[in-house]
Amino acid sequence: MAYQRRQNKGESPKLDMTPMIDVVFQLLIFFVVTLKQEDIMAKLSAARPQADPTATKENQVEPMTIIVAADGLFFNGQPMRPAELDRKLERMSGFSKTATVLIKCTMNSPHGLLVTALDLCNKHQLTNLSILSM
Amino acid sequence: MSKLKTEQCEMDMTPMIDVVFQLIIFFVVTLKMTSDINQDIVLEDGKHGVTMTQENTPTSTIEIEVDRRGRISIHNATLSEGMLRDILRNRVNRLGNQFPCLIRADRRTKHDQVKRVMDICTAVGLWKLSFVAIQEHKSKGKTLMEGN
Repeated sequence: MAYQRRQNKGESPKLDMTPMIDVVFQLLIFFVVTLKQEDIMAKLSAARPQADPTATKENQVEPMTIIVAADGLFFNGQPMRPAELDRKLERMSGFSKTATVLIKCTMNSPHGLLVTALDLCNKHQLTNLSILSM
Repeated sequence: MSKLKTEQCEMDMTPMIDVVFQLIIFFVVTLKMTSDINQDIVLEDGKHGVTMTQENTPTSTIEIEVDRRGRISIHNATLSEGMLRDILRNRVNRLGNQFPCLIRADRRTKHDQVKRVMDICTAVGLWKLSFVAIQEHKSKGKTLMEGN
C-alpha cells in the first residue's frame, strides 16, 4: 500500500509536465519563426520652395539644379548617371555646403530617382534642398 | 530511494518552466504587428540619409503612404485628398507646423502622384517634408526581387 502510493506520486508530475512542455516549445518555435527582421529606414529631408518668390532670390549663390526626368538625372542641363552626379556633387559641395540645390521633377519621373538624387545630396551634406515640380 | 528520485524531478522542472514562460511573455510583448503599414510599397535605397530611430521619430510624426498607383493612405487606411487635407490641417492647428512629416512612397510611383501629397502638405503649411528610404536591408530581398 505504502509502496504503491509512493510510486503514484513519482509518476503523476511527469505525466502532467510533458504535454505542457510540448505546447510551450511549439509556441516558442512559432514566435521565433514569425519574428521578422525589419529593414533599417532612413529619412531624407527636403523643403518645398516657399510661395513667396523673393525668398529664393535672397540666396546669391548660384543654385545647382538637378532635373529628375523619366529617363534619368540631369545636372545643370547635362544628363548624368548617379555615379557621375555623385562626383559632380562632391566637387560642388567643396565650394559651399549651404548652396541651394534645386531639384526639379518632371511629372512622369519615378519617385525612386528623386530619392536617389536626395540621397546623393545628403551624402555630400548639401542640406539646402528644395523640390520643384515641372 | 524512490523518494529521492521524485524530489529531484520536481526540482528540475520548476525553474525551467518559469524561464520558458518568461520567454513566451517576452516574445508576445515584443511582437510588433506590422500590418499597420502598407506592405506593397517598395522603397528606394538611401544609404546616406538620417537613420530613423525611436528618438528622431516622435509620436507626433505623421507618415503618409503613396503606393505605386497613387493610392494615399496612413497606417494602411486609404484616404481621399480631402480627408488627408483635413487630417493634416487638424494636426497643424494642434501642434504647429514643426512636426515631422514623412512620405513613404513607392520607388515606381510617378512624381505627379507624390506631388499631390506634397501640394496638400504645403497647402496646410508644412514646408519641410521627408522621404523614407531603406538604409539597410534586413528582411530578405523583397526589393531586389520586385525591382522595376
